[in-house]
Amino acid sequence: MRFQDAAKDARAVVYAGIQADPLVARAAALLADATVAQRVLARAVMNGETTDPDAWRTTFPTLFGPDADPAQRERSEAILVASLEVADRGEQVRSQVRGALVEEITAQLLRRRSGPLVKRERRILFDGVPAEIHPYDVTVERPGGSAALDCKWGARGINADVLHQLDDARAHAADESQSLTVALVVYDAARSCKVRLARQTAPHAKTGLISLETLERLSG
Amino acid sequence: MSDEATVGDVIERALGAYEVLLAKGEAIEDEWSYVNDLATAWRDRLGAVTAARGAEAAAPGVSAAVDRACEEIGLIADPHRAIDWLSTFPQVVLVALGEKL
Repeated sequence: MRFQDAAKDARAVVYAGIQADPLVARAAALLADATVAQRVLARAVMNGETTDPDAWRTTFPTLFGPDADPAQRERSEAILVASLEVADRGEQVRSQVRGALVEEITAQLLRRRSGPLVKRERRILFDGVPAEIHPYDVTVERPGGSAALDCKWGARGINADVLHQLDDARAHAADESQSLTVALVVYDAARSCKVRLARQTAPHAKTGLISLETLERLSG
Repeated sequence: MSDEATVGDVIERALGAYEVLLAKGEAIEDEWSYVNDLATAWRDRLGAVTAARGAEAAAPGVSAAVDRACEEIGLIADPHRAIDWLSTFPQVVLVALGEKL
């Protein structure tokens, strides 16, 4: 098993521009250490129609109301501002930004324990096996214990193709007596992810799931 | 709505708006089963909150928060975005109520 950078095709070049947007890194840094309620705020605003910040403050009284934790209020405000900036990008661009955001949160959290071993947009090659067309969003390339993660904004993004790709990689690594942990990171509630997974016939019993509520597990 | 509403009142209003959202999401035929399973899962979760806290007075701001969230999903016209909100909206309601997802 070996890792290599994905080919720089046109799609990759365009998407790299999205990934490099400073807004993505800023929002990811805020959300990596956010509470679950703050993450739901970001999800709602980035999915939403309303661009009036006061309307969102009304929607989240536990974050912005008089009884809100003052220590968290500043972060909630910063998350609201960043989320509105994403929502303001228009439907197509915001969809790309949201995807890049989940990848960046994942990478930032993983780097806390694995530092430079964390890579983006990588392919995994196995002897005698054709390479997958789509690269893995985030990998941890540690001799004796690597990982490959696919990142989704919502549970609906979970599909047969991604489940097959992850499980195939895990199985091919095992064939080479290598350890490769595979997982989905989904910026959505575990309940929704489980409903989606329950409908999937593609193999996923050995694929991990990190949801909006459990992102901290990536760093610990 | 005033903040004299109970938790059960608030959830009842949320579920009413959720039904309208569900109808929008069902327009994607390939996802019909998924969206209905999703709605069932989240209705069950909100129903469990009603069973546990339905008679309790909603905390200040909760009623207005849920009404605002209902207004937000009323703005959604695209069925694909409606499916996103079938997951997001119950999370927003639960956060407003101080509940875990």
